[in-house]
Amino acid sequence: METFFDSILYVFLFLTLYLEVFFLITFFEERLKLSTKSTTGKLSYYPSATIIVPCWNEEKTVSKTIDSLLSLHYPKERFQIFVVDDGSTDNTWKVVQKYASNPNVKLFQKENGGKHTAVNIGIKNSISELIGCLDADSFVDKDALHEIASAFNEDPQMMAAIPTIIIDEPKTILQKMQKTEYHTVAFFKRMLSPLDAITVTPGPFSFFRKEVFEKIGLFKKAHNTEDMEMALRMQSNNMRIRNVHTARVHTEGPATLYKLYRQRLRWAYGGMKNTLDYRFMIFRRKYGMLGMITLPLAFFGIFIFLYNFTFVIFHIARMVAIKAVEIGTIGFTFAFPQVDSFFINTEFMSILSYIFLGLGMVIIWNGVKLAEGRFRPSMGIFYFITLYGIVAPIWLTRAVFNLAFSRNTNWR
Amino acid sequence: MRTKIETKKYVFAFIITVMVFFGALLISNFFSGKRIAEVKNIEDKIALDILSSETQFALLKESSCKSIDHSTAFSEELSTLASRLTYMEEKLGNNNAEVLGLKKYYSLLQIKDFLLVEQVKQKCGVKPITIIYFYSNNGDCEECQRAGYVLTKLREEFPELRVYSFDYNLDLSAVATMKSIQGVKNKLPALVIWDEPYYGFKSSEEIEKIIPQLKVIRAKREKAEVAEKAASSTKK
Repeated sequence: METFFDSILYVFLFLTLYLEVFFLITFFEERLKLSTKSTTGKLSYYPSATIIVPCWNEEKTVSKTIDSLLSLHYPKERFQIFVVDDGSTDNTWKVVQKYASNPNVKLFQKENGGKHTAVNIGIKNSISELIGCLDADSFVDKDALHEIASAFNEDPQMMAAIPTIIIDEPKTILQKMQKTEYHTVAFFKRMLSPLDAITVTPGPFSFFRKEVFEKIGLFKKAHNTEDMEMALRMQSNNMRIRNVHTARVHTEGPATLYKLYRQRLRWAYGGMKNTLDYRFMIFRRKYGMLGMITLPLAFFGIFIFLYNFTFVIFHIARMVAIKAVEIGTIGFTFAFPQVDSFFINTEFMSILSYIFLGLGMVIIWNGVKLAEGRFRPSMGIFYFITLYGIVAPIWLTRAVFNLAFSRNTNWR
Repeated sequence: MRTKIETKKYVFAFIITVMVFFGALLISNFFSGKRIAEVKNIEDKIALDILSSETQFALLKESSCKSIDHSTAFSEELSTLASRLTYMEEKLGNNNAEVLGLKKYYSLLQIKDFLLVEQVKQKCGVKPITIIYFYSNNGDCEECQRAGYVLTKLREEFPELRVYSFDYNLDLSAVATMKSIQGVKNKLPALVIWDEPYYGFKSSEEIEKIIPQLKVIRAKREKAEVAEKAASSTKK
């Protein structure tokens, strides 16, 4: 019986290894284009841009968000900020009044209808060539829009651009863990970009050409993950999405486990639901890498992750049980572990784990370099390696449960 | 518009993955092989030690019991070998042909060591403390694991204690003879102390009751330690 479960694990490990190798090959191919320096100098053309800031009870952070947008290095007459208050019940509307006289800011107020409705109001009122969005808990680097506009200028086929998202000033252990997680995501996003396999145009500072909405319509509720649905809808219509890694956005990561759980449950559940809605692309060669790898992974990856997790937990439980019998029999004896090369674990599974850890470090290293400009060791890396595998199954299990019993997730 | 799937790249990634995957397997096998060789080496060394002791003993005969240093006549490496064999058995499985081979060799060495100890005991009148332990790891002996912990702990505490452990189900005629000579029934775990079989789990306290010398050894050791401490503090 154990051999059967081991064999399944080996298949999964092989698949995971294959993906890591694939991405590292892509990294090798792309390495010359991965300069982390911003494109300096003037652009030949500054496309007009609208940045929509949907807010719902964001009185504490909305000013910082708008201020960061107002200090963007971009000609003032070429961009506008639409602040859309989605029926806040706190002082958000009062707080934003200080921008009422600013020619770059336009304020909208509506009844609460969900984030997608707030963004859609902005899109309908915009006449700009580029339309982007910035969640009211995020802040941008000064040259982020410049970088994005430059990428749109260079590639007329590009229909959407997504930035690199960085966790802002992490304080708690969980936030530090997320910082490294986002660095890793930055690496994968950049690798998925040339493969046309991006599955999400995230809320913080993704930009679209206006014609995207004219051709395929506005944002939908989409299981509270409208940014994933929009990306999939674009992909199904063969619209190009690219990652502009030099455009950096800072966002606040949930500080507590419960808040993180709520956010990730929404992402995991929404991700699976949207993948199911767009299942016609799965394993279709005409949708390229997206159809063959990223979409199947978005769905089955969760099960693979949970299987591996259960496997590890089973073995840890068995080890603990054996140790408990030993302590129960002869009492607790503390001895310094002897350094004896004979007892270094060199089982196949352990060697594979060392390889995974090594490749993981290469990915993290390059993710940090891509997102921050250069590698700096941090405790976040340690927290990510040791904690992520323990906390992620909490929301993944719940997401699978909700999917099986069709329970919707809420925004908060 | 969409980037086409480059079959070449997918195949290339596949080949690398296969190489890494099987490379890991080869590395793992290489280290297993090295371990087996290391255990084999220790076994050979013990065989040599035993042979040397036997020869020395035969040469000197009874008259020169004194000239045999009892503390070094017996190989100390039997116990280090035990932990290595247990580890290999855990990692490679108790059905692994090479592990089984090493275990049989180890069992034979133990029997030879036991016989040598018996010889010294009879001829020279010394009384080494020995425990013969029969276990099974076929899943039919729940208490064997705990019995193993107790014996390991005792062996660590009392280097004077010689524990000979035998897999009851090992297919080796010498072990079968050992079982029949000692009159051990298939009720495991089984311990033979002073030619008397004891069945079922025995805690270290129970074993110390059966072998009162252990308490004496401990008391002596503690006394010596106290004296040593006192000596070093007066020096200061």
